[in-house]
Amino acid sequence: MMQTVRIKRFNILDRIFHVFLILTFLTQTATGFSRLFLPTAWGKSLNAVFGGYDTSILIHKWVGILMICGFIFHTLYLLTRIDYNHLWVSLFGPDSLIPTVQDAKHLWQRILWFFGIGPQPGIGRWAYWEKFDYWAVYWGLPLLAITGVMLMYPVIASRYVPGWTLNIAVLLHRAEAILAVSYIFIVHFFVGHLRPSSFPMNEAMFAGSVPVEELEEEKPVWFAQLKAEGKLETEKANPPSLLYKIVYFIFGYAALGFGVYLLVNGVINSQYITLH
Amino acid sequence: MRNMIGINRMPIWIISLALFAFFLLPARSYGQGEEVTSYINRYKQNEVSTGYYEEYEMRPGNESPLVKTFHRVDRKPFAYSSTAASIRNRSLLADSHRGIKFYDNRRCEECHINETQDIHTTRANLTCRQCHGPEPIAGIDHYYSPMNPIRRHAYVCAKCHQGAGASFAGYVIHEPPAGSSAARADFPALYYSYWFMMALLAGTLAFFIPHTILTGVREMFKRKKG
Ligand code: HEM
Repeated sequence: MMQTVRIKRFNILDRIFHVFLILTFLTQTATGFSRLFLPTAWGKSLNAVFGGYDTSILIHKWVGILMICGFIFHTLYLLTRIDYNHLWVSLFGPDSLIPTVQDAKHLWQRILWFFGIGPQPGIGRWAYWEKFDYWAVYWGLPLLAITGVMLMYPVIASRYVPGWTLNIAVLLHRAEAILAVSYIFIVHFFVGHLRPSSFPMNEAMFAGSVPVEELEEEKPVWFAQLKAEGKLETEKANPPSLLYKIVYFIFGYAALGFGVYLLVNGVINSQYITLH
Repeated sequence: MRNMIGINRMPIWIISLALFAFFLLPARSYGQGEEVTSYINRYKQNEVSTGYYEEYEMRPGNESPLVKTFHRVDRKPFAYSSTAASIRNRSLLADSHRGIKFYDNRRCEECHINETQDIHTTRANLTCRQCHGPEPIAGIDHYYSPMNPIRRHAYVCAKCHQGAGASFAGYVIHEPPAGSSAARADFPALYYSYWFMMALLAGTLAFFIPHTILTGVREMFKRKKG
């Protein structure tokens, strides 16, 4: 049997950032939810896992700082990925993550395609929903980080802003956390694991590469672009080893199970908590 | 040709130099602000942090039009008792529960149930008395009450939050439910943040959940390329 040809999609640093985000995000969700649901029996048992609600907030604060560092580091890395000699192409070209008018068109075409009215849009390197996934972190995390740091140092924060902004900070932190958690644990996990073309798991972000047939099917425009640039040969990647594959399947499913567990229990207990 | 990984070092240099320069700046000392501001501003700061204007105790000024006063006169159709009914604004009394029948045998949360739902009670496990003090509990506007905004930050908040100032005490402990009309009247910033976040949450999910489900359904009907 012929070996499937694989094309590089994410470099090692991209993948490390992704795993970093998974680990910190899940920790923040578990410790944050353990405090949010403290009035409920489930919340109390969640706190017990971390050794009580004092330790759980301690972990939440330190991992929060870690997350902020990772975010700053990632932003610096992002700036290095811009080609300053060809700024326009680099920012608005086909390889860019910046949303363009083209993405709005794709969205419309895709809605038509859902109902069988038109063909699938010619998705390029980054589909519009992938761009949304990426940039969602850029409003979610700063909001969580700023309000989180305000709640960490309320006395200092109140020297610069009036005390009542802390009321708003709590509200924004909780609401944004719930938004991020529901988006990731419903939409992102479905896209990554459950939809027919990904099932049982979309391996691109872990293996770093995609089989060329999948690429041709899912990202026809990127495929054409790679072909035109003669990159189908130069951008070839080795398939992931079996051991590595086992590791990331376990990891991916553990994250999925963990997320669904928190989400389902959160929904069940949602009647006992408030957002402010 | 650019190098292989596509790392451009220019922004790294600019940003690290800027950060370095930032750390070299001398820290702002606490006295500094006072020496350079106008005397009007200085008095204001002094008032705010001490609660004193020359030898008089001052109430901190209204911090913001976005937070209004929270002690409205709240008259229930059935008064606690005949004597209690004649008291219009309890927040000015030395004993704010004066005239309430069987007061000795009742618990705070029998009447103040909503006041037990805030973070200080549910997260920090505080009891009412840890802030409001022993009997008689003075109304928050009574001149000698520790809860009076003149000195609340020092007498109440700072017991746990070392260094709390008047601004810190502007945190609304017993906030109205964020989405309610009470919040719209008394704390519009909270009300509008709440509905903004609700719209964002509902909007994002209302778009992406159907989008994802339709993707899944449609992909099941995709014809295999032969
Ligand atoms: C980015 C850095 C972050 C920092 C610095 C931070 C910090 C904080 C702090 C100081 C609190 C107050 C907790 C308390 O005193 O009870 C808090 C609460 C909370 N955090 Fe975060 N956080 C961060 C990120 C996150 C993330 C990513 C999530 C989840 C997705 C999250 C979920 C929560 C929740 C649900 C609460 C409410 C807890 C409660 O109801 O008491 N946080 N956070």
